[in-house]
Amino acid sequence: MSLFFLTLGFGLVTASVLSLLSVGLSLQFGVTNFVNFAYGSYLSAGMLFTWTFSAKLHFPFVLAAACGVILTAILALIVNEVVFEPFAKRRKSIFYMLIVTFGLSLLLDSILQIFYGVGFEKFPIKQSAAIKIGPFDFTGVQLLIILVAVVSMVVIHLLLTRTSLGKKMRAMSDNPDLAKISGIDTKSVTRATWAISGALAGLGGVVLALNTVYFETTTGDSLLFVIFAAVILGGIGQTYGAMLGALVIGVVTEVSAVWVSSAYKTDVAFLILVVMLLVRPQGIIASQGKA
Amino acid sequence: MDIILGYVTTILVFFFTYNIFTLGLNIQFGYTGILNFTVITFMAIGGYVAGVLAMPKAAAGSGIYYILGLNLPWPIAALGGVLAAGLLGYLIGQIALKRLRSDYLAIVTLATGTLLYGLIGNGTSIFDGWQGLFNVPQPFAGFRTWTPLGYSIFFTIMTGVLFVLLWLFANRIYKSPLGRVMRAVRDDQDVVEAFGKNTFKVRMTAMVIGSMYVGVGGVLTIAYITALSPAGWTTGETFVVWAALLVGGRGNNFGAIVGSFLVAVVFNEATRYLPQIPAHPNLIPDIRYVLIGLAVILSVYFRPQGMFPEKKNTFLEVPLGDSSKAIEEHLAGGLSKVGEQ
Repeated sequence: MSLFFLTLGFGLVTASVLSLLSVGLSLQFGVTNFVNFAYGSYLSAGMLFTWTFSAKLHFPFVLAAACGVILTAILALIVNEVVFEPFAKRRKSIFYMLIVTFGLSLLLDSILQIFYGVGFEKFPIKQSAAIKIGPFDFTGVQLLIILVAVVSMVVIHLLLTRTSLGKKMRAMSDNPDLAKISGIDTKSVTRATWAISGALAGLGGVVLALNTVYFETTTGDSLLFVIFAAVILGGIGQTYGAMLGALVIGVVTEVSAVWVSSAYKTDVAFLILVVMLLVRPQGIIASQGKA
Repeated sequence: MDIILGYVTTILVFFFTYNIFTLGLNIQFGYTGILNFTVITFMAIGGYVAGVLAMPKAAAGSGIYYILGLNLPWPIAALGGVLAAGLLGYLIGQIALKRLRSDYLAIVTLATGTLLYGLIGNGTSIFDGWQGLFNVPQPFAGFRTWTPLGYSIFFTIMTGVLFVLLWLFANRIYKSPLGRVMRAVRDDQDVVEAFGKNTFKVRMTAMVIGSMYVGVGGVLTIAYITALSPAGWTTGETFVVWAALLVGGRGNNFGAIVGSFLVAVVFNEATRYLPQIPAHPNLIPDIRYVLIGLAVILSVYFRPQGMFPEKKNTFLEVPLGDSSKAIEEHLAGGLSKVGEQ
């Protein structure tokens, strides 16, 4: 039983990491209506930027993480400005947008690899001792990850429901053309969405690196389809669905270690993705016209 | 002279196999609009399966592990590899082709690629893990005593013949009723559905045929190099095939040839001669991938139809009223035009 609670605790931590990442991907999909295959590169960029600030420039870790997240958001903005915006102007079909993001992932990964090289990195922080909470054992870092995720989810919820930007984003997600003729400045909403998506990818990357300790330039890409699994499970383009999907995928993949080797964690995620696509491809929370 | 000839044969084999990959992707993406983001995985599966079918049983205690090891003659092993690639395509199609949106298929292909890469790399007992297979028997090597150069020339000719046959077959599909339906599915699936065609079946056919093409390329690759390890089929290799198809022209098999030549041969070979920087052994491969990623993005932006665009269909337009004159004029221009395309 203790193994079950131990893995459940890990599951909650993984779910926290995934929730940041899948919400970031899902928000952007909802607004721009194409899947970003380069998302894994943003994630890697977030952790590597933070590593530069913290290990090379010796910033305090929280400040380094903040800088890393902001830089990733700026990267996402620049990519939108330089690559996606011109394509959107030409009204390229979704086919081409997917190919472009796919090509972009190779481009960004290779650029990151030129600067950071191959091989594993590690944040210069101390590992904290375990803290016992009820039946769970958490390290201080893990508790911090859960806290960051919960706070971010509340902020996203407030952003979507209480602010004008959030309402505009939801309007664009429902019907971009209608949003445009209703006077919404879709261009700036798109920009804001990319910045938020990039920031969440960066933040998710940093907490992922905190959780797994060691990371390299391809860490983001190897996690990419687990994020997709969470997003599709929840219903593609659905922000709350993505949170739910992240919770399910995070907990199930970690708890599965009770029965199968933990080396097959991602395979469990793939299995969930396949079953979901066969049984209920529209996701737990279905959205019209997005599937 | 022998060295030059050996080099030329290697390049030619490389050119032919990349052409076969590109033709496979063209059938999937160019004809039918299927986004296969893990082309190279089909090559790997084809190669691995053909390899283990042709190799003898793994010797106990040698530290090399792989499944099967049936010691089959090469043509049967090759067929097994091609069928395995087709089967993988079928399975992926079963999961994702029923969906309306193409994103799902793209996600599933990418996920399958990542998954198989990890499984094959970590699962040492399947295809010898990260070490990979080596000492794979070469086809027809025991037929006679070959000189190394003689064998290379023989292999080049064999690959070339296979490529020509596959090229003709791909063109045949393009002109066939099936090919027309494929292109119609690509352009507007709903319309084709409305005409009572089973679009799922058409897309599945394209998926499986394309996968088998890539499988043939994989079988040839492992037979020529006699080794294959996961380092040889990273995601970056998939981009080389995509870049070749997009630069050459999707939907046009001639464009696919030109693209393969430019990207896979000229570009890949040229960057090989850039000076290596000892402190950064990965710099050149990384720069190569940056350029290939750029080529994909820029060609989609500036010339999505590629260097050699797909030919548009021409139909005989008969004007209202007195049409006999128009038909006569058209016939004078060449009867062949009516039926063609």
